[in-house]
Amino acid sequence: MPGVYISFPFCAQKCTFCNFASGVAPRELEARYLRALEQEIAGHPWPWTPDTVYIGGGTPSRMPLDALSRILGAIPGRPWREATLEAAPGSITPEAARAWHDAGIDRVSLGVQSFVTREAARTGRKHTAATVAADVATLRAAGIANHNIDLIAGLPGQTPASWSESLDWVERLAPAHVSVYMLEVDQDSRLGLEILNNGARYGAADAPSDELTADLYETAVDRLAALGIPRYEISNFARPGLESVHNLKYWRLEPYTGFGADAHSFDGVLRSENVETAEEYVRRVESGQPARQSEAPANRDEERFFVGLRLMRGVTPEPADWARFGAPINRFIDNGLLESDGATIKLTRAGVLLSNEVFSEFILT
Amino acid sequence: MDPAFIRNFSIIAHIDHGKSTLADRLLEVTGALSAREMMEQVLDSMDLERERGITIKAHAVRLNYKAQNGSTYQLNLIDTPGHVDFTYEVSRSLQACEGALLVVDASQGVEAQTLANTYLALHHNLEIVPVINKIDLPSAEPDRIREQIEHVIGLPADDAVLASAKSGLGVTDILEAIVQRIPPPKGSPDAPLRALIFDSWFDPYRGVIILARVIDGRLKMRQKIRLWANGRSFEVEGLGYQSPKAIPCDELAAGEVGFLFANIKTISDAQIGDTITDDQNPASEPLPGFEAIKPMVFAGLYPVESHEHGLLRDALEKLRLNDSAFNFEPENSAALGFGFRCGFLGLLHLEIVQERLEREFDIDLITTAPGVRYRVTRTNGDVVEVDNPTKWPDPSDIRQIEEPIIDATVITREEYLGEILKLLEEKRGNQKKFEYIGGGRVLLLYELPLNEIVLDFYDRLKSASRGYASLDYHLAGHRVSPMVKLDVLVAGDPIDALSIIVHKEFAHDRGKALIERLRKLIPRQMFEVALQAAIGNKIVARENIPAMRKNVLAKCYGGDISRKRKLLEKQKEGKKRMKRVGRVEIPQEAFLAVLKVTSGDEN
Repeated sequence: MPGVYISFPFCAQKCTFCNFASGVAPRELEARYLRALEQEIAGHPWPWTPDTVYIGGGTPSRMPLDALSRILGAIPGRPWREATLEAAPGSITPEAARAWHDAGIDRVSLGVQSFVTREAARTGRKHTAATVAADVATLRAAGIANHNIDLIAGLPGQTPASWSESLDWVERLAPAHVSVYMLEVDQDSRLGLEILNNGARYGAADAPSDELTADLYETAVDRLAALGIPRYEISNFARPGLESVHNLKYWRLEPYTGFGADAHSFDGVLRSENVETAEEYVRRVESGQPARQSEAPANRDEERFFVGLRLMRGVTPEPADWARFGAPINRFIDNGLLESDGATIKLTRAGVLLSNEVFSEFILT
Repeated sequence: MDPAFIRNFSIIAHIDHGKSTLADRLLEVTGALSAREMMEQVLDSMDLERERGITIKAHAVRLNYKAQNGSTYQLNLIDTPGHVDFTYEVSRSLQACEGALLVVDASQGVEAQTLANTYLALHHNLEIVPVINKIDLPSAEPDRIREQIEHVIGLPADDAVLASAKSGLGVTDILEAIVQRIPPPKGSPDAPLRALIFDSWFDPYRGVIILARVIDGRLKMRQKIRLWANGRSFEVEGLGYQSPKAIPCDELAAGEVGFLFANIKTISDAQIGDTITDDQNPASEPLPGFEAIKPMVFAGLYPVESHEHGLLRDALEKLRLNDSAFNFEPENSAALGFGFRCGFLGLLHLEIVQERLEREFDIDLITTAPGVRYRVTRTNGDVVEVDNPTKWPDPSDIRQIEEPIIDATVITREEYLGEILKLLEEKRGNQKKFEYIGGGRVLLLYELPLNEIVLDFYDRLKSASRGYASLDYHLAGHRVSPMVKLDVLVAGDPIDALSIIVHKEFAHDRGKALIERLRKLIPRQMFEVALQAAIGNKIVARENIPAMRKNVLAKCYGGDISRKRKLLEKQKEGKKRMKRVGRVEIPQEAFLAVLKVTSGDEN
């Protein structure tokens, strides 16, 4: 069954590592945005009933509770199999948690990134480990027991010791799900740009080397597995049975519909995306224009691999796939980036770290 | 026209000292161009020239000036290239003149380039009119500059014209000085024709266009002319002068300057410095000073995409139509495939050709490290000229190696002397002259191996002097030197395109520096890559590029598959622009790394 993604691209501040189209906007725009979102959802024909909802951002935990309740109220299929809300630690009051629960939210993803105060502070976050622990307790008390904790490996100043402090907190808080991302150094984030320019702001001069970042990531892989939270996708780890149902849809090429600025949709055949900025989204919806700006047929033959191989369970190529990609597949099996039991191919431990090298061979166009 | 009313002159100036602005102003004041018509710096026509602020092609513009004595004069302004690579062209342009304006910036003073060209002009017995320009700037010190001109050049500068080309101040004084101080041309209109070619270029419709100064006799439409060097005859099909637009005429007589075309198909038939004479009634002797231009700097040019080889050959052929100083022949590199070994006048010339190929012909190029031509005596006594490291004879077969030597003049300020002397010593220079030239400035004359100049000398000189050093040089023969070939091995395979010829004593350090640079330029591969520098079988330096540790896209945010695809496509595209040598992907810049090996600059 399909999923629903709702985008709320507003934050209290823009984090240094953030390379997404989200950020700080005037209150007035947020209010208009929420009305536009309701309007877009109300206009959707719902040819099917969703079984998962994911509200991402931005920082959707900042959404006014009545607006959240109205928006979720407009989505059919409640109670859903899974309904996730992304939240910034330190912003969760008991009232909010209860209201979320009442609106149908049963899973919260906490953008912790680091439990080490200095590391978090350098990215623009104000929380401490104690804040996160309090948030988790608040959520549990409100009946939301399914949590994800986001961590970033490769933040400025990170060391094996500080990383293990963050992992200790994961052990202590015992979430169902953990996401570990390696910092993406690119032009689209303040920190990435600073690192590329050899600057020193945001602690860029203390950013770990590729080696250290990779080591931190692998440490997390081992440590989380030992805690009973194995990796099921390149960046995602979960207790068995508690994998993110919604996110799995992306990797399995199952359909989903996105609402809001920069939201993406896939109906099983066509991929489409809404306009990127909140301003333009609001302008379009208010003037009765479609928020969707482009659509194109998905290339399943390629996506099956460069998206599907992100899952640790791997992909089972069909005869046509072997004809198309047999040469690179065998080359990667030979050099140890892929492994195969004869039917299914999957990334090896080394292959995960070099997955882009593998994936780009599955893009022909 | 009566030669008594003709004045032929050029302008000698350092880059930025105001030559183009002054030329524009002269055109404007004499009415050759109205202010409204005038484009900035009309004499520099090619885009590249304008961007670099230097003149590559000489031009000649005729101005009609009504002097204060009531007579109207024909003034021919002959523009000269302003870079050390083009000294020969400059000397030919000067030979076409009787005088020159020496334009010196009122605060900067005399620079090496100006000095070299002034000496060249004096050598041709030209009357020099000093012009101190930019006197309206607050930093102007005309008295100090006057003193410097007297001291350094040995010219009286009491009557130097004070001017500001920008504001137009002193421009009339300059015109009067041209009329009064520069002598009229001497040749005889009735003697057999002798005209000096001081510039030529290829025009797709007219064939070769020649700029010439008639020294003796007359050039006429439909005249049968002979070009001395090749002995070939042509019929004049077009004759005229630039003012600055081309204006046709029937005759150019002794003393006059203009252009002609005669259905000449290749630029090598109309070489700069050659003499044009009458085919029926030739002069008994050519004009002095003709030299066939010889390239001094050599480099390999390769297309990044090997299928563009044919395209590159066509482009090189087209460029050569217009540039007789440039030559090329096919060469083959194990690393880079099919390409061309090209000869240039100097580094700037190389850069210009390279940029024109990329810009005008849209070809992505890999340029290998520039080098010079060595004279190698084999053990059997045969002498071979080697301009390509891959053709370097086996060391056991070499009796002696001679490398080209230049005389380099550097003018700088005292405070940078320490750094510059260090640089000149490091570059194996021998000091021939050291002179304080007043105003805290020093003139250095050094004998230097040309090979050291083509590496990173300009950049180093610039940074050692914060830009306050100027350089001029000319070839001064050969000297015996213990040169060796330094090879680079990537993952065990020698990369022929990275080989360089270096002085034996530097081989170790250069090898080390080169390998270190390459380590930074070659991106990590999926496996560890060994980089080695070797002389023969002896490894002199080694570094490893560790295997790539991670290349992962983290988020799959909100199901944005298209972003993922775009990032993967971008990575793939980046790889395409690299050259795959064996198993290793090498970016274009790596092949030029050799250029910077002595700079110690980390970036």
